[in-house]
Amino acid sequence: MTINYPQSDLSIRDDLIGAQARFWEHLAAPGTWLSGAERIAIAAEARGVRNCDFCKIQKDALSPNSIQDTHQSSTDLAPNMVEVIHRIVSDPGRLTEAWVRGVVDSGISDGAYVETVGLIATAMVMDTFAAGIGHDDVPLPAPAAGEPSRYTSSGAKRAAAWVPITEPEDITEEDGDLYPGRSAYIQRALSSVPDTKRGYWDLAVANYLPAEHMPNFDTDFRAISRNQIELIAARTSALHGCAY
Amino acid sequence: MLRESNNTIGTTFDMTDVTGGVSGETDIPHADLLSAFAEAVYYRDGPLIGEIQTEIRQILGDAAFVDCAAVAAAFHGFVRVADATGIPYEGAGGGTDTADLRSEVGIDQFYRIAGE
Repeated sequence: MTINYPQSDLSIRDDLIGAQARFWEHLAAPGTWLSGAERIAIAAEARGVRNCDFCKIQKDALSPNSIQDTHQSSTDLAPNMVEVIHRIVSDPGRLTEAWVRGVVDSGISDGAYVETVGLIATAMVMDTFAAGIGHDDVPLPAPAAGEPSRYTSSGAKRAAAWVPITEPEDITEEDGDLYPGRSAYIQRALSSVPDTKRGYWDLAVANYLPAEHMPNFDTDFRAISRNQIELIAARTSALHGCAY
Repeated sequence: MLRESNNTIGTTFDMTDVTGGVSGETDIPHADLLSAFAEAVYYRDGPLIGEIQTEIRQILGDAAFVDCAAVAAAFHGFVRVADATGIPYEGAGGGTDTADLRSEVGIDQFYRIAGE
């Protein structure tokens, strides 16, 4: 799978293009709880959030729970999945544990929810990069056939976060290397679905920094300095109302 | 992470500008331009993104602009992972984001913390 940006004259570093191509393959393949077609639909629905009038009204409301209406969906995903995608894309800073519990109670399993979160987040990285360089969305890949693995990380438990996490001391051999380099909570968040976690972080580090460079504040690993990187990072996080 | 990088590199930055936008004195090179780029990307303001792209490429070069776009994109993912899974924000920044810092910057007014 090849990623191109024909509307841009920028030369984009090979490692970033490579990670983007790997994510497109990852997205199209059957996952842990979701089929390839469902995973592609999630990425498509995430794009469709931009055209959802209810999301705009809800984001402007004093409380996201103060108004009720229907999201404008662009796929045939179930309404509870559409709600998950639209809320995470449009207003992530106002999600709550009660909302996540409601999602699970509606029939989306913890594992499918975590997989969906990872796919939305990674798709947002792809689409935001394209927008950031002034390019249209990269066409989504075609889904690959096959069944989800339904792998459950046996050490995953809900304690520190709203979703189950496989803590470093609870990793089994079947989980593989979940924490290469660092195990901060942001690295643990998707750990109960190892395939999703690895897919997300493969692209995340290509955009930001490899884990081993994160604590090295005096090393310039990119073409902008570390404090310039962190300024963009902090401002972006604040705009989202992200407390982490 | 921003505060740690400034402390290590020896640059100054008013941390309240994280929530309000760059307005004060800082010696992070081109901080106002980079902050404006992050804002334009957040709001998906295509024309403004185009204007700032031209400026960043002229001043910092194409490779730097690609990294600006890549970092902004990365944090559109990180925030969603953090906020949709409810990981403890007390561990952010390698544990260096203290309650005092959250108060100083205004992060404690964000929905998740303010609602606790």
